[in-house]
Amino acid sequence: MKLNLPLVRLLVVKDWQLFQKQLALYVLAGIVALCFLGLARPWAFYVGSLMLLIVLVAAACFSISTSLVVERKEQTLSFVMSLPVSPLDFTISKLAGNLLTFAVPFAVLLGGTLATVLLTPLPDGLFVYALLIFAYILFAFSISLSVAMSVESEGWATFAMIGSMVLINPYIMALAQIPDIDQRTRVDEIAWTTPAAAILIALSLASLAVLGATTWYHARKPAFH
Amino acid sequence: MSFAFSLTGVAKRYPHFALEDITLALPEGQVMGLVGVNGAGKTTLLRLITGLAAAHAGEVRVLGHRLPEEQVEAKREIGFASEDMRLYRSQTLRWHMDLMRQIYPAWSEEYARELLKRFDLRTDQAVGGCSHGQRVKALLLLCLARRPRLLLLDEPTTGLDPVARIEVLEALADVLRDAGRSVLFSSHNTHDVEQLADTITFLHKGRLVASADRHEFVDRWRRIVCQGALPAGLSAWPEIASARANGSLVEIKARAWSETLPARLAAEGLQVQRTDAMALEDIFITAVRSGGVA
Repeated sequence: MKLNLPLVRLLVVKDWQLFQKQLALYVLAGIVALCFLGLARPWAFYVGSLMLLIVLVAAACFSISTSLVVERKEQTLSFVMSLPVSPLDFTISKLAGNLLTFAVPFAVLLGGTLATVLLTPLPDGLFVYALLIFAYILFAFSISLSVAMSVESEGWATFAMIGSMVLINPYIMALAQIPDIDQRTRVDEIAWTTPAAAILIALSLASLAVLGATTWYHARKPAFH
Repeated sequence: MSFAFSLTGVAKRYPHFALEDITLALPEGQVMGLVGVNGAGKTTLLRLITGLAAAHAGEVRVLGHRLPEEQVEAKREIGFASEDMRLYRSQTLRWHMDLMRQIYPAWSEEYARELLKRFDLRTDQAVGGCSHGQRVKALLLLCLARRPRLLLLDEPTTGLDPVARIEVLEALADVLRDAGRSVLFSSHNTHDVEQLADTITFLHKGRLVASADRHEFVDRWRRIVCQGALPAGLSAWPEIASARANGSLVEIKARAWSETLPARLAAEGLQVQRTDAMALEDIFITAVRSGGVA
């Protein structure tokens, strides 16, 4: 099946137009969180990091739920499917649209967080730690997006979103159990360790694999129903 | 003769419903009304014709394209609106029109303006603030202004108030004047179908009950009122769809009326008192209840 690129681009732009105002609010809330982080005081660090996590999780869930779950629920999905698109076009446009709408706040906040770590009195060792946290959010987003694209049940899609995002808690606890990662967060230099690099690579590859498998699965479907 | 669509031996199966052995074709330029109760399979049939669903058996061809393989090419020339289709609530009709204009090269802004006036719609109003009737009309506008060769409408008048329903039906009647455009629309309202369709197809429990020219239906079906006792075995006659006695009166509904039928009934001891043409709704109900092909 041939990809209809001009139409895919139009559908991505459509999703961007639909969500850009809300995404701007998420970015704004993320910047407020970064301001707290940048104060480099214990209470401000706690408030800022918690707020940043909430904003990232909310931005990820917002993108998926509005473009897939709500679209199905509000029956605008059948409008999109009636356009001259194949299941492959639709899959690619949804993947690209979601990645774009999530990537913008994600990239802004990732860049902002790394800059905050490097440019404020916060220890530079948090640089790698922040990358590990953002890598997990990206992985959870990929899982949630793939499930939401593959199931018609709103319940399962919501379960995947909440489940994968909530697992960030045991993930953070697990990171704290690895001395090569935990101890370096207090040092004022960027230090790559084997466990940190391995986790980062594993999460990045897993995210790519999940998204690739979803694309492959949907690309083989001859029709939507 | 070229066909807007043709289905040959088509089957589509779901866990609790199956559309079986559908062979149906619509010549180009004709209007077909698809009549069936809720759950008859109208939406599934329309999904097959739009390429949204893939058949488990048989062949589906639309405007010369084999579906679902060539669904993109077919959908470029199809206008499809269904009762369960919604527009984006947060966006205006203008936003939707701009989207359509970018997708369909045949989009006519002039015709869109004409339809805006006819449907009394505002382009700057968010769809979420529109009534159900306005949303249906907006959806129709988006379908019609792209000038499709085949228009597929799934229950377009369902849920509309009487005024909006008439407006939609009048607009459709205007559209149908374009001889080059083929239309398939489904409804459980036989009055709507009777007004617009050249050909009528009855669908029931996933099977094709009947498909014929509208006039042919009316010519073939008759309600015959007779005096006498209901003869045993009358219901088994192939041309009789139903027969029931009420005292000495016998009401017969014939699916294949012929001039010789009164004489044959007389030979069975029945005196024909009246022969009436049947309304489409009555024909549909009788055809469905008798379970036979009309």
